[in-house]
Amino acid sequence: MAEVKVTTRTRRTAASKREAKPSVDTTRIAVVGIPASGKTTYFRFLSGHFGLNLPILYIPSRADNGTLPLYGDLENDVALEETTYETTDPTDPEGSLETTTRFYVNRPMEDRRKLWVELSAGREDQGILTKYPLPTKFNQFVEMKMRFRYGAPGGEAGSRPMELQTIDEAGGIISDYFTYDRLWLDTVEAEVSEKTCRVIPHFDSWRPDRRDLWRRGLTLLGRFVTGADAIILLLSPALASLRDQAQQVNLARGVFRYVKSRNLPLVIAISKSDKLKEFYSEIEQAVRERTFLSTFDPVDFLLRRDGAGMGTILVAQEGRGLSTKEDVFLVSSAVSTGEGHPLFIGESGEESPSAGTQTMGVPVMVNTTLPLARACERVLERRATKGG
Amino acid sequence: MEENAAPAAAPPRERNVLLLDLSKSMLAPLPEPQNGHAEHQKIEVARTAVFRILQDAATSSTLFGLVTFTETVRVPVPLGEIRKENLPYIENLISMLAPSGRSAIWDAMAVGADLLRMGTDGVRGNLVLVTDGWDNASQRFDVRASPEAPIAAGRLDLGPYMLPANSHLTLRIIGIGNGAERDKGVDAGRMNLLLAQLTDRAQQLGLPPAFSFQEVTTGSALFAQMVHAFIDVGYEGDQAIEELHPEELARHAASAARALKEPQQHATVSRIQTRRLPPPPAAEAAYREAPELEIDVLATGPAGAPAYLKERYGPLGEIVEAYLTSQYDRALQLLARSQAVLPAVTRLYWEARVQFARHAVVEAARALLQAWTEADRLPEASQVPILRRLAMLQARMQNDKETETLVRFIDNAEHGLVQSDPVTRERLMGLFGKLMELRGTYQLTRLAGEGDLQDAALKHEAAVEEVFSLLQDARLDLSVGGPVIEGALDFIEICLAEMR
Repeated sequence: MAEVKVTTRTRRTAASKREAKPSVDTTRIAVVGIPASGKTTYFRFLSGHFGLNLPILYIPSRADNGTLPLYGDLENDVALEETTYETTDPTDPEGSLETTTRFYVNRPMEDRRKLWVELSAGREDQGILTKYPLPTKFNQFVEMKMRFRYGAPGGEAGSRPMELQTIDEAGGIISDYFTYDRLWLDTVEAEVSEKTCRVIPHFDSWRPDRRDLWRRGLTLLGRFVTGADAIILLLSPALASLRDQAQQVNLARGVFRYVKSRNLPLVIAISKSDKLKEFYSEIEQAVRERTFLSTFDPVDFLLRRDGAGMGTILVAQEGRGLSTKEDVFLVSSAVSTGEGHPLFIGESGEESPSAGTQTMGVPVMVNTTLPLARACERVLERRATKGG
Repeated sequence: MEENAAPAAAPPRERNVLLLDLSKSMLAPLPEPQNGHAEHQKIEVARTAVFRILQDAATSSTLFGLVTFTETVRVPVPLGEIRKENLPYIENLISMLAPSGRSAIWDAMAVGADLLRMGTDGVRGNLVLVTDGWDNASQRFDVRASPEAPIAAGRLDLGPYMLPANSHLTLRIIGIGNGAERDKGVDAGRMNLLLAQLTDRAQQLGLPPAFSFQEVTTGSALFAQMVHAFIDVGYEGDQAIEELHPEELARHAASAARALKEPQQHATVSRIQTRRLPPPPAAEAAYREAPELEIDVLATGPAGAPAYLKERYGPLGEIVEAYLTSQYDRALQLLARSQAVLPAVTRLYWEARVQFARHAVVEAARALLQAWTEADRLPEASQVPILRRLAMLQARMQNDKETETLVRFIDNAEHGLVQSDPVTRERLMGLFGKLMELRGTYQLTRLAGEGDLQDAALKHEAAVEEVFSLLQDARLDLSVGGPVIEGALDFIEICLAEMR
């Protein structure tokens, strides 16, 4: 694998960690979603696009046939930075954390399929690139930062440095933070208190080290969303568990409250839309007939057919900092054949067999960059209105 | 949330004093004309009923006091909170109370009033007198034979003593036996005189006249008068909130939310209520002749019926016992025999439940319909939990799982919260109430036309946010409340998420 991993392993408290300082005018966009909503995949594919030069296919193509003004940040060698926070000893009374930082840099890959194969595999088969050293979600979380640039369409105004940020392996922390507004921080120095954490169901019954890690994660998240310029909310339409569905709805309501109270731009990405049969069949047709334009209407699907279980909620938000027509996207980073196998497209445009080492193909990505581009666009619009 | 806000004042607790006649005549047997019922001494029946009342007081945290009288008045249980751990001692003490001598009824009533006296606020609480005789031993108090008749020398007039200004007294007299003939039963004439004098005095002082007298002539009737109850048992497969796995809880909550979201398919939901907040001030409560029903849902385990059902609940206990052992015909016979002594709503509910168990759906539906009518006549405090029990049975009969889940959860939560402090209980039941109210705004989002949809959706979302805000405050304030409170809050939270 060609990407360079620079790993530092130091034992120190979170407060003393040296953080990379973004340039003064960097715009920061936070990506939030419940566990398994697709945050990791979204980050890795986007960073693959910008940093690792992964060949990908976008469907459906933009109606105006225009290009998206998203670029890799070539001035910054580091495309993606991941810092893992983990508790190594649950009995450690000092509650110290160990941090590990990995940097993914702008280098072409030797094997173009390598990244795809690893990302599409099940978690148990995934390598170090996709997941983190310890298997449990309860003793670690990962801060992810992706650096890129955005330019106005046409490029006349030049591009601006941007940063996409999330806390990975921490969908639970993200859900809790936005769901319970009693946890919200107002400054980048503030801290979520142990007492306030009791708003989280059963918090007192957790192991002390998990409580501490959770509180630190909430604080870290609270601080970076306090400084965020926009939010991308990832929603999954394919949640089997009722608890997950409830968690997602609560998160969505919380994010709506949050962006309203902070007057922040919000863009919604309905991830894993390859799970939506109707949508998938249109994409499949678009893959086979390059001239086919999808007639699938995401707004109709979301609002009238309650596609992500949030029709009423989205209707209530319409026009209040969100346009369902312009700010909600169905995205997919891996169009599957419907049985969990990735769909490979060969050079001829035909589906390639997914098994065997000689298979050549590229993953099909659907709308993946659109939410990011829209978020950037809205940030710049907002700045222009404010005179920034 | 205002962290420094003063805690809300706890509502005043109910104050009850029972005056029990221990004169020698209480050793006499009380006839039990129904076939299969053995005769019991009056004191035996009264003692069993007192045990039951004590248990109820220990569960509900109401204040309770016991006054016994022969020619001497004693206070074996001073007015106070009955703690469960003290119950065996108190019950032991009561079991040792042996009838003897004569009856100082008026002096005992004065002592009972003294227990309920609250300085310038007068006498406040509920007084229940159980007697089978005539006053023949009082030395300090007397009741005038007529409004103009003089009081015996050296005695005080009981009426004004019991009912000073500002009082809020409820007096219920249960007279055993027919007192037309002296020493054969209660002195009904004198009792009615006392009630008339108290009623006149209450009118003069502008106080609510809450005084009643009932004669009972059988053991079952005495028990039923003392323990005026609506008891129920759970259904097979019922699981307590705290025993549910989180995913099971989520499934139940999602199912319950469907009952809220689809009122047409779940019409029964509209008949249930949660307790209103805050409780109406006592002074404005309408007086009713019927004493408040004791309502309880008995736990049934794998071993079957709870022990001592008949002893604890008299005729109703016997009916429940027959039901639990699948002797439905016997249960119906017992119901018919006990018609006169059971509260109407209790009788009709159990008739419906027994008929449903024996697959007589039409008879069950007819009885349940009548039970709804009877329940509508009950005072609110009794009505709310009884309506839920009726709703649960109706949902069962209609195979409406969603409504059944919702009602069972609310009922289960309230039952599990009996031991919690009243403020917490009211707060949680208030949250359930708010959850129920979301039916209205949600329904509007379904009915609204294209143009009004956003307005309806906005209103619904605002209502959901309001409840969620209250829920968060409850989470923070009640974080160490225990599994029942946690389970109830989880349930509400998931229902809120489902109301979308």
